[in-house]
Amino acid sequence: MNAERNDRKPIDPTWAWEPFEPQARHPWTLALAGHLFRRAAFGATWKELERALDEGPLRSVDRLLRPEPDTEAFAERFDDYELAASRGDSVDGLRSWWLRRMIETPDPLREKMTLFWHGHFSADASRCKEARTMQRHVALLREHALGSYRTLLEEASRDPALLLTLGHERSRRARPQDGFARALLDAFTVGPDHFAESDVAEAARAFTGYFVLRERFRFVEREHDGGEKRILGKRGSFSGKEAVEVALTHRATPRNIARKIYRYLVSETADPSDALIAPLADLFAKDHDVGALVERILKSNLFFSEHALRQRIKDPVELAVGTVRAFEGTVATKALARDLDRLGMSLLHPPTEKGWIGGRHWIDRVRLGRRHALTVALLSTGGRYGGKLDPEGLCARNGRGDVAQVFLRSLLLHDDSGEAAAAAGSARSAAHSLVILSEYQLA
Amino acid sequence: MIENRREFLKAALGASALLALNVSPPLALGKASRCARKASRCAHKAPRRARKVSRVLVVVQLSGGNDGLNTIVPHGDDAYGRNRSTIRLPERKLHRIDDHLGFHPRMEALSRLYREGTVAIIQGVGYPDSSRDHGVSLRTWHTAAPADRTGRTGWLGRVADRIGGPSGIDVPALFVSPSSRPLAVRSERTHVAKIRSLDDVAGSLESRAVPAAAPGTEIDPLLEFVREKSAETETLRRTLRTISDEQGSASDYPGFRLAADLRTVAQLIRADLGIPIFFTELGGDGFGGFDNHANQIGNHCALLHQLSESVAAFVRDLAKAKLLDRVLLMTFSEFGRTLAENGRRGTGHGEAAPVLLAGGRLRGGLTGKHPSLTDLEQGAPRFHTDFRRLYATALEEWLGFESEAVLGGRFEPLKILAT
Repeated sequence: MNAERNDRKPIDPTWAWEPFEPQARHPWTLALAGHLFRRAAFGATWKELERALDEGPLRSVDRLLRPEPDTEAFAERFDDYELAASRGDSVDGLRSWWLRRMIETPDPLREKMTLFWHGHFSADASRCKEARTMQRHVALLREHALGSYRTLLEEASRDPALLLTLGHERSRRARPQDGFARALLDAFTVGPDHFAESDVAEAARAFTGYFVLRERFRFVEREHDGGEKRILGKRGSFSGKEAVEVALTHRATPRNIARKIYRYLVSETADPSDALIAPLADLFAKDHDVGALVERILKSNLFFSEHALRQRIKDPVELAVGTVRAFEGTVATKALARDLDRLGMSLLHPPTEKGWIGGRHWIDRVRLGRRHALTVALLSTGGRYGGKLDPEGLCARNGRGDVAQVFLRSLLLHDDSGEAAAAAGSARSAAHSLVILSEYQLA
Repeated sequence: MIENRREFLKAALGASALLALNVSPPLALGKASRCARKASRCAHKAPRRARKVSRVLVVVQLSGGNDGLNTIVPHGDDAYGRNRSTIRLPERKLHRIDDHLGFHPRMEALSRLYREGTVAIIQGVGYPDSSRDHGVSLRTWHTAAPADRTGRTGWLGRVADRIGGPSGIDVPALFVSPSSRPLAVRSERTHVAKIRSLDDVAGSLESRAVPAAAPGTEIDPLLEFVREKSAETETLRRTLRTISDEQGSASDYPGFRLAADLRTVAQLIRADLGIPIFFTELGGDGFGGFDNHANQIGNHCALLHQLSESVAAFVRDLAKAKLLDRVLLMTFSEFGRTLAENGRRGTGHGEAAPVLLAGGRLRGGLTGKHPSLTDLEQGAPRFHTDFRRLYATALEEWLGFESEAVLGGRFEPLKILAT
């Protein structure tokens, strides 16, 4: 399935990562602005699309990376909500506040990358007794979502939710647990094919003395194995922090992380060549700055090209949150979290340590039917979402009540090719028929 | 990622399994060879209606630890009566199998099918060093990996990953129950959906017109993939609508939840959707259900009656539709119970227990000896047949899949199927 774009000639890496400058032949269009918001945010409102069209690609990316200063008050308010909702053992409240945050956030790229890191680390709430443990985990991902991967990884190595998920809760000198060491090498840094079993065993010794007691991290000095280890060809009496550094600075790590982010933001249909990934990997290797990597990708020629456009299947969160955001409303997110479970994307319960594989795996006869049903339910007057979204009102507010079909097509599919004939029917029914289009399943 | 579909299938099923395949993979195989020829385009063509109903596995979980000794009752063994002064089932009320064994009094329906050969019993099933903790033992049965406490996929989830996904069987398995999705069906890449009723399968049965692509436009492969799935989804809805309108067989099922779930399974089998694996559950979410530490008789009677009547209705329904030959149903529970009752007219957590099978291709009868009631392991009968041999049987002998990778080792299939 990765071979389908191979018939095209190889992409020139230099061209690929240069900033995109609209030209007459390749102008800045609604299609491209929509693409940016589908990937770097959870879709867009009509105002956001209009502003982006007005400001051009680079300024629009800057806004996503560095949103206006009212984000702090919003973040504090939602942190409080999440804390209050995480008092017991159930993460239901946390899940619904997180979805609510995705819907309402003025800082959507951060939230989008938080979701990316959630899949990347794949901590599982069912391994934690307290909801607070997961709340802290997600807060950690959010804090560093666009920051230093070094800091994120170091903090993750002492994060109770992650250690509990990986079965690393009492690693003694005499009996090292290797759950974290394995995930560190296999998923968080160098990736498969770049380490041996002996590296796992040696790295595991570096993380001895790491305990999770009553859902809190404890370093127990006397259980730490301070002896010499040999990890990925390097020798030293590494501590856990130093072992993280060894794995992080291995030459395979930047490529592995860049590929993963490429698949998330650019395309999941074609495996990029090493040559194409190299400029990203080099940039990332400098100081492991996720924000800089994301900025380079989002501003690039490649990102705004056919190689990226519609080359991703919306994950269920993107599908649902994007629909809600476009209509500038909000819905019952507790019910939404459960509906997302049924589509195979259970927030805070990723399937395995590999996160959500996604891509074509999101779609089968059963779940495509459920995707249709969910988006239609979000836009229905009755049922569990109770008509919170108002297509008629939205069209009217934007002065487009008379051409609702055309307007909604632009809003939802970011398509202004204008073929939509002015068929009869309400704005709501027009919205219904748009969200079940196959095009709408693509990000 | 494996790029070539044939390689995928080979890797997934094992080369030899490809030859022996008698599941939906005739479809997968056909697809694979066609795809090898027409590399990119045919990838997602829906197989046209040439498909036959293939073999189906139905797994019924009895949650809580079923008391095997009061299910298939060793009335002929003095130790049974001696150890169970208040919960002993009187021989005259049992449905006699032989001088030694009999079905529980409320399992008349299954005992009749047993005599007809469509129900069979495997005795003494368990695993080494078995845990008597519900969570740990259930986890073991689900993952098929006794030592692994952190594994996140189940045995059927791993099967689903191997045979399912965009290049394999579109919907490899379904969990049909109102309970929460068990670890057994948790997978890495595919998703084993939970359904409560037919109406729940594809969101809703209401039709959604799928707009066709404008002619002459170049279609992107990813978009084409979604379009084809869309068409298949619509076909699925239409099929489900038709069968949900057939009220015919509803009256033949008793009013139990398990019966309703098995009826849904039977409808899906009859609809010929190419879904090879179904999982359902009796006993409820969490613990309770078969976990009878006190006053067990009444509750256990009700559950076994439910099991017996529901499975029997399912078997009769499929037999009438001439589909029973295609179906193997197996029950399991996380453990059996102690021989001696505990002073509260209940029993404690045990070890070995019998497994009940139903289907049209069984050898029938009893497989394996009844475990000794005098040589006990901490008060409970010892196992002699590892449950993973049962899984290997279901996967290899029944569905025709290679089982070693899924079960993490080689387990000898049992000779329980008619040749």
